[in-house]
Amino acid sequence: MIKRLFPLLLLQLVAILIFSAGFFPQKSVLTGDAEFRYHPEEHLVVNPKFEKLVVVVIDALRSDYLFHGPMSHFNFAHELLNKGHAWGYTAYSNPPTVTLPRLKGITTGSTPNFLDAILNVAGDDSSSTLKDQDSWLRQFHINQKTIKFFGDDTWLKLFPEEFFSEIDGTNSFFVSDFEEVDLNVTRHLPAQLASQQSWDVMILHYLGLDHIGHKGGAYSKFMPPKHREMDSVIKQIYDSVEDNTLVCVMGDHGMNDMGNHGGSSAGETSAGMMLMSKMLGNYEKPVSQQLEKLPIETKNEDYKYLTKINQIDIVPTIAALFNFPIPKNSIGVIIPDALRLFSPQEAHLKLMDNYYQLASISGDEPMEALTDNVMVEKMTSIQSELAKTATNYNYTLLGIGFLLLLVTSLAVSIVCYRSTNLCFALLPLFMVSSLLSLSTFGSSFVEEEHQLWWWISIALLGASYVKALQDINSHLTVLICLRFIRGWNNSGQKYVYEHTMLELLKEHFHWQWALNAITIFATQIHGRRGSTFSNVAGILISGICIFYKAAWSIVNGEQIPFWLQITCLKIAKVFPSTGDSLGDLKGMLVPMARLFFWCATGLAVFDVLLHRFSRNDKRFLDRIHATATTILIFQSSSANIPLFLVFQILSSQLESLWHRYHGSNVFLLMTVGLALQHLTFFQFGSTNSIATVNLTNAYNGVSENYNIYVVGLLMCVGNFAPSIYWSLSCLKMIYSKQHDSKWGTFNKSRLPSLLFYCVFGCFLFGSCVVQRYHLFIWSVFSPKLCYYVSWNLFMNTLIAWLIEGVLVLLL
Amino acid sequence: MPVKKRGMKKSVSFSDDETLTRVRQSNDKKHNASPDGPPVYVKKTVHTVPLHLVGLLYYFIKLSDSYDCVTLLYLLVPLQIAYLALQFNRNTVYGHKVLKLRLSLVPISLGAALILTIPCMLIIILLGAPIAMLLQKTWLLAAHCCFLGLPAVYSVFNCNFKVGIFKKYFVAIAVGCWISCVVIPLDWDRDWQEWPTPLVVGAYLGAFVGYTVGPYI
Repeated sequence: MIKRLFPLLLLQLVAILIFSAGFFPQKSVLTGDAEFRYHPEEHLVVNPKFEKLVVVVIDALRSDYLFHGPMSHFNFAHELLNKGHAWGYTAYSNPPTVTLPRLKGITTGSTPNFLDAILNVAGDDSSSTLKDQDSWLRQFHINQKTIKFFGDDTWLKLFPEEFFSEIDGTNSFFVSDFEEVDLNVTRHLPAQLASQQSWDVMILHYLGLDHIGHKGGAYSKFMPPKHREMDSVIKQIYDSVEDNTLVCVMGDHGMNDMGNHGGSSAGETSAGMMLMSKMLGNYEKPVSQQLEKLPIETKNEDYKYLTKINQIDIVPTIAALFNFPIPKNSIGVIIPDALRLFSPQEAHLKLMDNYYQLASISGDEPMEALTDNVMVEKMTSIQSELAKTATNYNYTLLGIGFLLLLVTSLAVSIVCYRSTNLCFALLPLFMVSSLLSLSTFGSSFVEEEHQLWWWISIALLGASYVKALQDINSHLTVLICLRFIRGWNNSGQKYVYEHTMLELLKEHFHWQWALNAITIFATQIHGRRGSTFSNVAGILISGICIFYKAAWSIVNGEQIPFWLQITCLKIAKVFPSTGDSLGDLKGMLVPMARLFFWCATGLAVFDVLLHRFSRNDKRFLDRIHATATTILIFQSSSANIPLFLVFQILSSQLESLWHRYHGSNVFLLMTVGLALQHLTFFQFGSTNSIATVNLTNAYNGVSENYNIYVVGLLMCVGNFAPSIYWSLSCLKMIYSKQHDSKWGTFNKSRLPSLLFYCVFGCFLFGSCVVQRYHLFIWSVFSPKLCYYVSWNLFMNTLIAWLIEGVLVLLL
Repeated sequence: MPVKKRGMKKSVSFSDDETLTRVRQSNDKKHNASPDGPPVYVKKTVHTVPLHLVGLLYYFIKLSDSYDCVTLLYLLVPLQIAYLALQFNRNTVYGHKVLKLRLSLVPISLGAALILTIPCMLIIILLGAPIAMLLQKTWLLAAHCCFLGLPAVYSVFNCNFKVGIFKKYFVAIAVGCWISCVVIPLDWDRDWQEWPTPLVVGAYLGAFVGYTVGPYI
C-alpha cells in the first residue's frame, strides 16, 4: 500500500505549494524616484515649512497611551497638545501589525505585503529591503540631507547604510530587557541635540514599550514608568530644537490587551501619532482637538481618540511640508490640518499634486477643477480602493492547486474506504475533519481554533466514557489532565484569563523549577527503565538539559530558585573564568547547547546500535521517545516544561483505555492523536496568528554567524514541540504490541492525518479564494494558510512520514 | 470556553455500580421483568412534552432584561415540580402501575438537586469553564442543569437508584450545553454570547428534546 500512499502525499504537497505560490505573489512595486506631478515648476518656488525633522517611533504605542487619561502618563505631551504646539492623531495602521511591514508603510506610504510579516519573523534576509523603493528617507537622501538613526535595527535591514551618516542599531531579540534597549538610544540624545547643525533628519526607534507589552500585557505595572521615560525624551527633544524643526512621535502599531500584535483588532491597528513644533502654535488646532482637553477621560472602546487618520498619510504630509515629491508607491492622503501651514494657493498646489500622484497609481484620469474638500474625499476613496486591491492573485495557479488537492482528497478517501471497509472508527475522523473544514469559513473560528479542538477533545472523551461507563477513574484522570493543558496558556484572540498555570508558575518559581526537574528526569528514567548503562546516559543528558534551561533563565533575568542558581554558578566556575560569573554563564550558553545536541544525537545513535545488536528488544521506541522528549523540552520555554509531565500521565492513561475498551483500533488512536497534536499546539501559547511564533528557543546553540536553516529548524521544533510529542507517542503506542506487518500498520496509521489535511485543505483553499477581498484576509486567513502549509511540510511530511518512517524501518 | 456539560454523571456515585451495570445489560429489554425488581419505563406519549420549558425560554430570550438567569431559576423550580407531578410522574410506569407522587420525596429530590450543583459545577469547570472568574455564573448554570434534571432525579430516587434508565435525560442536557458552545468563539460581541447565556439556552433545548423523545430511545 505504501506505493499508493506515498505518491498521494507528494501530490498533496505539490498541490499546496502551487496554491501558495498563486496566493502569495510578490507585490509589484514601481521603481524609480518620484517627481512632482502637477505643475512641477510651481513647486520649486514653494518654501519648505520645516528645515529639520525628528521622528521618534515608540514601538507599539497605542493611541490610548498618548491620549487616554487613566492609561497615559505623557504629561508633557498633554500640555503641548492643550497649548496647540502639538497635534494629536489616532493613526490606523494597516495589518499585519508587526514592525517591519509597518515601517515600510510609514516610510514608503504603501500598504504592506503579507510576505513582509513572515520576513519580519525570518529576520536576516535581503528581499525586503527598500533600497530601490522610493521613500521619504530616499527623498531626503537625494536632496543631500544628513540622516542619523538610533534604535531598532529593523530600519537598517530596510535601508542601505549610505542613507545614514550615523547609526546605532539595537536588537529586539531579548524581549525581557525593558531598560537597556531604550537607554542605548537615549544616550545619543545630548550629543545630537547639542550639535544640531550636524543633521537634518534624526530617527529614533524605542523598543522598550513593546517589550513590556509582550512580557506583561497592556496593563503591565512597568507601563507608567516607561511612559514617563518616553515623555521626558519628548520634552528633552522639544526643549532643545528650534522652531523650524518638526518632531513626529508615533507608534508603528498598537497592541491588544495581552500585549501582542500582528492581527487586526482595534487595539492593534490604532497607533498614536503626534506632530509637534513650536511653529504649530501659530495655527489653529485640529477641530477635534479644540473640543477636547487632554488627557481625555472617557474611554473609547475602538481606541479612537482625536482625529482618525491613516498612518501612511504621514508620508505625503512630510513630503509636502519639506517640499519634495511624494514617494512613488505612496497611497497616503495629505493630513488636511497640515495644509494650514501653506498659503491657499500653495495648499491647492500640494493637494492637486497628491491627487495626481494617487490617480497615477490607481490608473484613473484625474479630474480638473475640484474644490479642496471634494478632492480630499475623492482621494480618501481612491486610497481605500487601492488598499483593498493591494495584491493580484494568480488565478491559474490557484485553480491548478485547488483541483489537484481535490483529486488527491478523492483518491485518499477511496484508499481510506477500501482499507477500513467503512468501519465505525472512521466516524470520529469524519466528524473532526468536517467540523474543522467548515470552521475555515468563519474568521473567528480560525482565530479561536483552540476552542474547537478542546470541544472535539472532550466530545471524544465523552464518547469513550459512554462506551465504558464503569471506568470513571481513568476517564476522570484524562479529563483533569486535559483541563490542566487547557489552563496552561492563553490562546486565541478573544479571551484572556488571568490565572493561567503559566502565570501561577512564574510567580511561584520554586514550584516551577521543582516540577521542571521532576519532568526532565522522569522522562528519561521512565523511558529507559531496565538497562543501567542507558539509564546513566539518560540522567546525564537530563542534567545538561536542566543546567542549560536554568542558565538561560539566569542570563535573561528570570527568577529561579536559589539552590539552582548556586549550583549553576558553581558548575560554571569549574571552567576557566573571567571573574564575571554572569558573563561566564552567558558565554557558556552556546557551547552548552551544542554539547546537549551532540549528546542527544549520540544517545540516539547508541540506542539504534543497541537495538540492532540485541535480540528481542521491545523498548527501542520508548528510549527514542524519551530522547526526543528531552530535546523537545530543551526547545520549550521553561514555564511550559511541566506540561510534558502532564502529557506523560495522559498518554499512559490513553494507552490503557485504548487497549481495554477500544480494541486497539489504529484509526481511532490516530484521530485522538490528531486532536491532541492540535490542542496541545494551541495550549502551548500558539495561535493562528504570525505574532505568536516563538523565537526564544530558535537560537539555542547558534552563534553570531548563523545558518538560517538551522534557526528555522530549531524554530519549528520549538513551536511544534507538543505536537511532535504526540505524534511520536502515538507511534510508540501502536508498535507497543506485535503486529502482523509493520509497514501495513504504518500505512494505516498515516491515513487519518493525510485524509484530514486533504479535506481541511480543500475547504481552506476554498475559503481563502472566496474571501480574498475580505477585510481579514491578511490578518486571519493568510496566516492560517501559512500555518497549514507548515503543518503539512513540517509535522506531516517531515515528522510523521520521514522521521517516523525511519524509526519504523529501524524497528 | 466551550464547555461540554455532562452534569449529573456524578449522581452515579449515589448508586452502586453493580446495579448500574445490570441495568445496562438489561437495557434493551427493559420492558420485561428484570431480576432485581419491577421494570421502570416512561410511556411513549405526547403528554411528557415539557411545554413549560419553551415558555421559560421565550421569557428568557425575549422578555427578561439582559438574560436574567436568577429569575429564570426561580421560575424553573416550581414549574419543574409541576411538570413532575402533572406530566412526568403520571407517565412513568413502575412495575406495571403508575405510582402517585410521593410528597416526601419531592423535598428530598429538590435537596439532592441542590447538592448536585456543586459536583456539577466542578465538572463544568473540568470541561473548560474558567476557574476563578465568573464562578457565580458557572454555579448558576450548574443549578439550571440540575433543576432541569429534577424529574429524572426524583424518579431515580423513586425507583431505587436505577440510574441507567434515566441516564438519557442527563445526557440530553449535557449534549445541549455542548452544542450551544459553538457560538462562544464568534466575534459578534452580542450580549447573548456572554457566559453562561448560550449554555443555559442549550441546556433548556437539550432538556426539551430529552424529555420529548426520551421514552422512544
